[in-house]
Order: sequence, then C-alpha cells, then structure tokens
Amino acid sequence: MAQEPNLLGALSDLLVARFAAARDSVAALRLSERAHLGAILWRHDALVTSQQSLPDGDTLEAVLPDGSRVPGKLAGRDPATNVAVIRLDTAARAPTLTASTAQVGSLVIAAGSDGGGRPSARLGMVNAVGPEWHSMRGGRIEARIQLDLTLAASEEGGPAFDTAGGWLGMTTFGPRGQILVIPAATVERIAPALLTGGRVPRGWLGVALRPVAVPDELRETAGEVTGLMVMSLSPGGPAAKAGLVPGDIILSVDGTSARRLRNVLAHLGGDSVGKSVSLRLIRGGAVVPVEVTITERPEA
Amino acid sequence: MTQPAVGSLAGSLRVAITARDEERIATLAKLLRSFGHEVVDSGEDPDVMLADQHRPEEGRYPTLVLGGTDTDAEGLLPEDAAGAEIDAALRAVAHGLVVRSARVRATGFSAIQEAEARTLLTPREAQILDAIADGLTNKAIARRLGISLHTVKFHVESVFRKLGASTRTEAVAKAGERRRAETIDL
Repeated sequence: MAQEPNLLGALSDLLVARFAAARDSVAALRLSERAHLGAILWRHDALVTSQQSLPDGDTLEAVLPDGSRVPGKLAGRDPATNVAVIRLDTAARAPTLTASTAQVGSLVIAAGSDGGGRPSARLGMVNAVGPEWHSMRGGRIEARIQLDLTLAASEEGGPAFDTAGGWLGMTTFGPRGQILVIPAATVERIAPALLTGGRVPRGWLGVALRPVAVPDELRETAGEVTGLMVMSLSPGGPAAKAGLVPGDIILSVDGTSARRLRNVLAHLGGDSVGKSVSLRLIRGGAVVPVEVTITERPEA
Repeated sequence: MTQPAVGSLAGSLRVAITARDEERIATLAKLLRSFGHEVVDSGEDPDVMLADQHRPEEGRYPTLVLGGTDTDAEGLLPEDAAGAEIDAALRAVAHGLVVRSARVRATGFSAIQEAEARTLLTPREAQILDAIADGLTNKAIARRLGISLHTVKFHVESVFRKLGASTRTEAVAKAGERRRAETIDL
C-alpha cells in the first residue's frame, strides 16, 4: 500500500518557508526594558508602525530583523490613517516587500517580534475585505481588511503577508478587538509624506460637528433630512472666520450633501488647502450660503 | 451562606508598581497609600501589580495596566484614570475579576460612524434631552423652552423612540454615548 502523502506536513513546511522569506521586514520598537511594539522595516532607512500604540517621544530604539538595535527618530505620525514612520539613524539591509491585495478567505501570516530580534508568527484567514473607508480621524484607507487571527499587543504594527509572500499591509487593533490591516497601498501613500515632510497635509474647517435630523418644518426648504450641526468652533479657525456659529446646521459642501460624512471628508483632502468651499446652512430657520476658505489642519 | 467574594474587596492590598520613571512610581505609590494599600516590591509576592502601558514580563500576578492597549492584562484603564477608578480596579483584579474601562473599550482604530437618519435627534429634541439631563420635569422643560406641556411630551416620546430608551436616565446615558461616538472634528 502506498504511503499517504503528508499534506499537513507539506503545508506546515510551506508556511515555515514563507515566513522565513518574509522575515527581513519584521522589526520592533522597544518602548521600555520590557515592552515593545511591532514594526515593519519598510525601507532601508525607515520603519512603519501603528500610530495609535506608539507612545509620545521623538527618539526610539528599533530592533531590526537581524536582532541588532539601532536608534531611530520619529519622522512623523498620522492619526488619520494610523501610520507612523521612524527614521533609522543607521541604514539597515533593505527588505523585500512586494505589495499585494487581500482576498477574502485566503490564508494570512502576520508577523511580530519578541523585541530581541526573534520573530513571532500568527496564522489566520482574511475574514473580510471591504472598499475604501474613512477613519474616525478623517483619514482615507484604501481597503477595509479584517483578519481572523489572534494578535498580542506587542505584535501590533507588524506586517501581514499572503501565502505567496505578498505584503498586505500593517496589522492594527480596530474597535472591539478586531484585527485590521492598514493596506500596503495606504502605507505607501502616507509613509513617504511623513518621511519627507513629517506630516500629511489635510484640509481643515475648525468645527466640531454632529449629525442631526433636520426639523420637519425645514425639510422641504433644506432639501435634506439630516445635516451636521456645529457644536463648537476652533477660535480663529476657517469656520469661525467665516462667521459660523454653534447651532448652524451644514446641509451641503460645494453642492455635495452632508448626509454622509465621507462625502464631506472628500472635500477636505490635502489638495483642498487654500481653496474656498460653499456651505449651505440652516441658521435661525432659514437656509443661507456661507463661503469658507479651507486651511491646513494644525497638528493634533 | 458563604460570603460572596466581593465582600472582601474592601481590604488593604499589597501592590507592586512598575512604571516608566521614578517620578511616576512615586505618584502612583502615594495614590495607593492614600487608599490604604501597601506598596511592595514585585519580588515580595504582591496581591496585584500596577503597571504603565504594558504588563511587566514577570507577569504572574494579576495586573492592572494604565494606558496602552495590552488587552491580555486582567485590568486595563486609560492612562489618566482617576484615583478611585484605579483603587476599584485593583481590588477587583486582585480578586480574580477582569476590568475594562468603558472608555478603553471604545478605542481601537475605527471607522467614521455614518448615523442612521431615522435615529437622529432634531435640535429641539436635543434641547429637550439636555433639559432631561439637568433633571427637569416635563413641566419645568415646558417653562424653560416656552412651549406647551403637550409639545414637550410629544418630543420626549420621540427622543425615547429614537434612542431606544425606556427611562429618562437611560435616554441621557445613551445620548451621551452617541454624542461621543458621533461628534467629529473637521
């Protein structure tokens, strides 16, 4: 009788090989004697990590894939896309990252580091892939990638790979313990801006808004059932300068309905700085137009 | 009848602290002593550990972590947690309970919330809710806003329906939660 082929063993061996091939981009940042955070050696001179879990401070110690420790400086952090970039003081060996896109149901390998240069591996499945989305902080993320795997806090910020060794992006914690991937495309768009300019320019109105229902008696005039009510204004900000006051309800921005926040955000990209937009507002029971000149969002 | 475990939550604890620097350790130690706890070294078999950002590696004791995202820790509170919160969480963690702050639970990199039109309050309804939060009766709300009692009742009913609340307290709590989730700085 022919011996049964060891398919599980073959799968396991393949995973080991894939992981070994991916190792040259698996780094970490030492946060203290005991704690560290996952990171990706993104270029020979820069690491990428999860902004939300990176403590304040400008200098950091990086642990490279070969275990060596190299000092680095924070080049910039972008809360809107959760990407932070650390510039290495000493150049490392360039990683071989080839960006790939996630497929629902495919196996995924996430990598972390023990903080001493030894890698840790996680195996799971791409649980869901959605279209481009906007974060609570207003950043655009190229795709919503959710993983079905476990990740330790110290592994967040590391790379995720598909079975062909393609780089899917950076792992991060989403709401309610979800494991998300910030896609490679988002990292490749944001990280260069952080590395060269220290920030990602974004348009700013200088208002805190919350969605409200338009009162019944104004729905016809407004042509909208919901709007964004001004809760507060940043003193001296664009909206304050344009004369907006708390209680104003924004109905549209340059003719685009404010019903969906993401539509409003689309008007506040990096190229919007310096441009003037026309807001339609409900103020004191009447619909009025107001022109606002967008400025660059100040650093948080 | 046996005493429930929580009955002993009131005692004094032996707590070991690991924090980023001496100053932080001193601050936390002072706080713990003010709540009647004893500060000990991690080698002295503490009841519970209090740590900054991450669980310490010699983490065989129940640990309360302040700040960070160390979801493996028994206790996790925001970095700026109040003294009473830290005290309550330490007692709970020392007794084998898992503690999370509602504020921490809301963290994690998340998507913008697109609100559902039919559950959004009108500005008038929001005013009514603010008055409810101030503890006003329907009659007092009518007086404050200069509208009839009948109109107030109508609005209150609509507020309850939109928020899915059945009591005034519940409505105020749910509205606060929603306001935090939905307010966006642009």
